[in-house]
Order: sequence, then structure tokens, then C-alpha cells
Amino acid sequence: MTKTYEQINEKIRAKKAVVYTAEEVIDLVKKKGAEKAAEEVDVVTTGTFGAMCSSGAFLNLGHASPPIRMTDIRLNDVEAYGGLAAVDTYIGATALTSDPKGGYGGAHVIEDLIAGKKIHLHAWGPGTDCYVRKDIDTYITLDDINDAYLYNPRNAYQNYSIATNTSDRTYYTYMGKLLPRMKNATFSSAGQLSPLINDPHLETIGMGTKIFFGGGEGYVVWPGTQYKTNVEEVNGVPVGGARTLALIGDMKQMDAKYVRGLDITGYGISMAVGVGVPIPILNADIMRRCAISDEEIFAQLQDYSQPVDRPAMARYSYAQLRSGSIEYEGKKIRTSSMSSYYGAKKVAAELKDWIESKEFTLNQPVLEFPKERTLKGLKERK
Amino acid sequence: MEKKFKIEFTESNVQDSVVYILVAEFNLKPNILKAQIEGDGTGVMLVSIEGEEADMVKAVERLKGIGLLVNELSNHITRNHDKCFSCGACVSICPTNSFTYDPVTWEVHVNTDKCIACGACVNACSVRALSLIL
Ligand code: SF4
Ligand code: SF4
Repeated sequence: MTKTYEQINEKIRAKKAVVYTAEEVIDLVKKKGAEKAAEEVDVVTTGTFGAMCSSGAFLNLGHASPPIRMTDIRLNDVEAYGGLAAVDTYIGATALTSDPKGGYGGAHVIEDLIAGKKIHLHAWGPGTDCYVRKDIDTYITLDDINDAYLYNPRNAYQNYSIATNTSDRTYYTYMGKLLPRMKNATFSSAGQLSPLINDPHLETIGMGTKIFFGGGEGYVVWPGTQYKTNVEEVNGVPVGGARTLALIGDMKQMDAKYVRGLDITGYGISMAVGVGVPIPILNADIMRRCAISDEEIFAQLQDYSQPVDRPAMARYSYAQLRSGSIEYEGKKIRTSSMSSYYGAKKVAAELKDWIESKEFTLNQPVLEFPKERTLKGLKERK
Repeated sequence: MEKKFKIEFTESNVQDSVVYILVAEFNLKPNILKAQIEGDGTGVMLVSIEGEEADMVKAVERLKGIGLLVNELSNHITRNHDKCFSCGACVSICPTNSFTYDPVTWEVHVNTDKCIACGACVNACSVRALSLIL
């Protein structure tokens, strides 16, 4: 049995498409088998809501009168990039205020913009014959500015490691607060709900895939940075960070509930964003892969007190990780997540609702992403 | 029953006598959760007390009588529900399992009764949803 994108979209337009979340579909496939389930189900929705530093927004602020070519730009005192055209800028999630300890950064500016708050714009320029003005000090809102789109060079990591700390002091990392002597361990993938776990070889996800992004409609635009494929697989899914996606979406459609600025103690600013990818059930193989459950997805425990080379210490399933504790060499380590599974479920449910009732149709990718790719380190040269 | 109290004192030797009074005079079982004594002899201690309610009431009066400031602790950890996005970063940090995931929705719940006011969770929360009010 096979289906086409067009057949599925026709059913979506007729409000007759059968949509399951990646969680709900597990039992269905267990009961009916992948062949039968594939006949019944048209789309499976996925979701994730976790931290990703490689996030940011392109903004066009509009021209003031007299106009200014901004080269030094501050939004709520957070530095935005001044190397584009006169009033274009990119604000990165991890960018900081002039007081780096303020606990506020680019991700918070983005969240505040989406929440409709007033943002303080202070910018300076060289003053030229065509842009005479040298500074501007005003306030903007998302409604005022011409363009505002989130462009995250890397999102939706396909799996990730589990972090612990074997040392005698607390470590503050991007994987959260890690207590001494392996008292806890943190993980970040949404496991059975995670987009790239459900379509592990990107058979249906590529450039042009329409997605749920921060509460609005977005698109997959490119392989994410640090995309790699050479990671060992168990049950068809990599056991560590592998593929990633670059995503784009209009901030004016977004909801601040799904785009959150984070201040990770001892590490810095990051951004959590809700991402949901719909997977068209074109055949029974795709159905089978979407039915993967937390018991079958594995990640590796690593010691984040090691500055370099963190060998895998052990391997655990997401079912074990979600049980609240794991065992390592006879010792119980408490576990919890850095990404919100509660949020991931909401994303998958909301995307399901969009497909069922808002005629959210599926795009066939216009470009497939690399089947094979390895990562390079940074070589230091004289 | 078990209740938690914050006891503020002005002389550094009072800490021992508090425990003595609770045990010897009122047959209560105190468990010191946290004690901090400043260089000038002032200090604060958090103590969990087990025993009969009537004895506890009398004990509190007795301690107040010797010049100590005694306040029952409840809801000292507060979570801003609007800010919390139920990530769970706090869940594995808390020594008393005050945070739990809802088994169905995976929302993170807080049981303030279990909290011993250690403060460990506060800086583990990346959206600053947690605050400890002592
Ligand atoms: S203050 Fe300590 S005991 Fe209270 S909730 Fe936070 S981590 Fe748990
Ligand atoms: S760490 Fe903060 S945001 Fe995350 S679950 Fe705990 S209180 Fe909520």
C-alpha cells in the first residue's frame, strides 16, 4: 500500500485525514501492525520543545526620517548584528546585554517581541551623505517593524547525549545543573515524539517541509549546522546527536508560549522553541518507523566534568531515563529532562489539530538532505 | 504530625538549647534542616519537628518566651506557573523529590510540603520560575 502527498492533501482539504501523534500511534501499530495502520493513518505529528542556542531572528526595523545606516545596534541593550543593510539586523539568541551577568539576552528580546512588548532600540551609524543621521533612540514593537522572522541555523537535534558529572563539585552546563558524584543526569531529546527520531533517515523531511514553528507556520530550509549521519544506530535510530534542521518562520504568527528565552546558570542565554514536523504516512515502512517507542530509543551517558573527549559510559533507553532514575555500576542516578516533554506533547497535539481542522497541508520536499555526511573539527594553524 | 519552622536567634549558643527544649521539655523530635550563624552571633535555623500538635504549640510559645522569632514554614518554595515550561531541570536536583512529572501530561508539579528550603533548585531553573522565600 502506498499513498502520495496529493492523496493525503486531498483528504486534509476534505477534513477527512486521519492524524495521530507519534505517541498515540505506538499502540495502534502494536495492535494492528504497520501494514494495516498505514492504510488507516494519513499523518503522524511529532513535537519537541527544548533549548537550542543556534537560534535567532532577522529583523527589518523600517526607515526613520531622517534615515540612519545602523552599524551598532542595541535592542533592550542586547547587541544585534550591524553588518547588514541600513535597517536590517540579525539578533542571535545568545547575544548579551552590556552587563553580561544580566540574565537577559537575544532570546529574551525575541520572546518579548513575540509577546507584543515594547523593545528599546538604540542604534548608531557613521553618518553618510545618503544616511545623514548618526543615532536613534526609540521603541519598537513586533507590529511596527516590517519583517521579523526566526531563522534557526540548527534545531530539532536528532537525539543527544545524557549528561552526568563524576567530579566532586557541581557543574553548571548547557545540560543544566549537574550535581557532584553522579547524583543526577539530564537528557534533552523528546524521544518517541521527537521529529527526527520518527523519520530517522529523512525520507519525508527536507527543504520546504511545512512545520509547526514557535506556534506559527514555518518551514525546513536546509540541513541544520553540524548535520552528520555517521552515528551508530540501534533499532534504526542514532544513539547520539546526528541530523539537525535549519528552520524559518514568521514571528508575527508565533506565540511567546512556544518561544522562550532561557538563562542557563553558569552557561549563558539560550532559546527554547516548540517545533512540530508532520510525517506523511506514504507507506508501511514509514508507519513502522513512526511507531518507535521510548523503550527502543537509546542515548549515551557522558561525563560533562571532562573538558574534552567524553567517552560513552553506558547506554540507556528513553523509557529508563523517563522512569526517574538509571543505574550505573550499582549506583542509582536520578534523571530528568532539559527539554519539555509536556511542551512537546502540546506541539504535536496542536499540529494534529491544525491538520484536522485548519487545512494545514503537507509539502513534498523540493530538496533532499545529505544521506551521508561527517563533521570536521577545527584545525588550528600557524 | 510534622511541621517545619524557621527560628531566628540572636545568640550563637541558642541553637543547642532549642533542640534540648524541644526534646526534653516537650517530647518532640526535631530535625535541623539548615542552620546559619553569622559572625555577630545572630542566626537562623530551619527545623522540622515531629510530635503532637498540642506539644508543638506549647513549644513554640516557650521558644518565643526566650526571645526567639519562630515562624511556621509553608510554601517557602514558590513556582511561577506562567513562567514554568515544565522542562524538568529541577526534578533531579531536589533532594526531597518535591518536583514530580505528571505521569499523563508530563507537566511538572511541585509539592511544597516536601521542600526543606535547601535552595538547590532555584538556579537550576532557566526561566527563573522558582524562588525561595525564607
Ligand atoms: S529548595 Fe531544595 S528542597 Fe525545596 S524544592 Fe528546591 S531543591 Fe527541593
Ligand atoms: S526548572 Fe523551572 S521551568 Fe523547568 S520544570 Fe522546574 S520550575 Fe519549571
